[in-house]
Amino acid sequence: MGSAATLQAIIAIAGKDLLVERRTKTAFFSSIVFAILVLTILYFARDKTAVGDLDLAPGALWVTFTFAGMLGLNRAFALERENRAMDGVRLTPATPTAIFLGKVVGNLVFVGTVELVSLPVFILFYDVPIWRELPILILVIALATAGFVSVGTLFSAMVVRTRFSEVMLPVLMLPFLFPPVVAAVQLTRGILALRPLSEYSGWLSLLAAFVIIFFTFSLFLFEAILEE
Amino acid sequence: MLLAEPAVAVRGVFRRFGYRWVLRDITMDVAPGEAVLLVGGNGAGKTTLLRVVSGLLRPSKGEVSLGGTVGMVAHHTMMYDALTAHENLTFFARLHGLKIRARIGELLERMGLAHVADERIGTYSRGMLQRLAIARALMPEPRVLLLDEPLTGLDDAASRTVIDVLNALEEQGVAMLIATHQLVELVGTAARVGYMVNGKLAALEQCGGDAGQVVGRYRELVAGG
Repeated sequence: MGSAATLQAIIAIAGKDLLVERRTKTAFFSSIVFAILVLTILYFARDKTAVGDLDLAPGALWVTFTFAGMLGLNRAFALERENRAMDGVRLTPATPTAIFLGKVVGNLVFVGTVELVSLPVFILFYDVPIWRELPILILVIALATAGFVSVGTLFSAMVVRTRFSEVMLPVLMLPFLFPPVVAAVQLTRGILALRPLSEYSGWLSLLAAFVIIFFTFSLFLFEAILEE
Repeated sequence: MLLAEPAVAVRGVFRRFGYRWVLRDITMDVAPGEAVLLVGGNGAGKTTLLRVVSGLLRPSKGEVSLGGTVGMVAHHTMMYDALTAHENLTFFARLHGLKIRARIGELLERMGLAHVADERIGTYSRGMLQRLAIARALMPEPRVLLLDEPLTGLDDAASRTVIDVLNALEEQGVAMLIATHQLVELVGTAARVGYMVNGKLAALEQCGGDAGQVVGRYRELVAGG
């Protein structure tokens, strides 16, 4: 399969996933409702005189993004289980790499959209200077999202045939989520506190390293998972 | 006389799931333009053999070689309920790197589904889904077609459509391996019959076109162990 055909397959798979989601809307709405609920509950549960916005905001943001995203990841391969559609895909010349990348792109667009819709709610509840360092915050969100979507896509493919896939996915992902989410929380804290970049650049390097490792690891393992 | 290269060559194929051997030492060829019926009880290994030949499953031992693109129709449609027939076929055409939109229309027309092409397939009847699955399998113009119970859920008219399509494909040189229990309808399509008993290919013989004879021979093989 040439690079043009691979690109065409990636676009076709991502496009199909998004079209199915647009038709059914199940994962999108449950993720959005979940995100808004978490942000609201965390906001009202705290004592504002004891816990400041800057202390709570980074954690609230990443709890919301991570778990709302996970709801969407669960669905990524569930729709392939329906009618054994993945068998149909595997009978085409599309390579496992193209299938994985197509799934990752579809999931990134899905999770990115959920994040985009939840961000205004976050801004509404938490009085933090988000606009001052917006580009670097977006970079951190993009990197951490890419990391957990890569590994989430892999595990979603792995657990889809198990009876308790919706429970298994978070359980399996947890150890792998720990490093990028911790790095993302630390970075978000530094960014929102308007600290100089040099103070948290170590976390940024760590996050970037995890994303590269997770992505490569997921890409290589995907073929074996897809086969049986 | 020069013999044509087989379109499907299965050599000493074994397959197991856990400790259970589902296929045991299967060796067979299918020539281009030849249809072979696979006959056997439930759990005899017909579906597993088709999945191994298609490449969806790896053999535990042995090897399979194919003389061209493979298409497969299985128990499941291998398509997405939330998409229309046209969208499903367009998606698979893209994965095959095909740009010919006209082919999608032609396939839908051929399978009698053109009038419902823009309806979500989740609303289709079993027969319509089966015909759509055949259209999907024919999309890449396969040289090898694997069919697992292709007439399940089809009424007489739809069965006739499918049988006519299969006969036409046979004439075009497409090799077919058909697992079925519906012998009366399909026995006329096949040149040979493979009898599967407990994961083994107990016999691979010329088909006389008589379903009763095939059933009788199968019972004989089962009784003989």
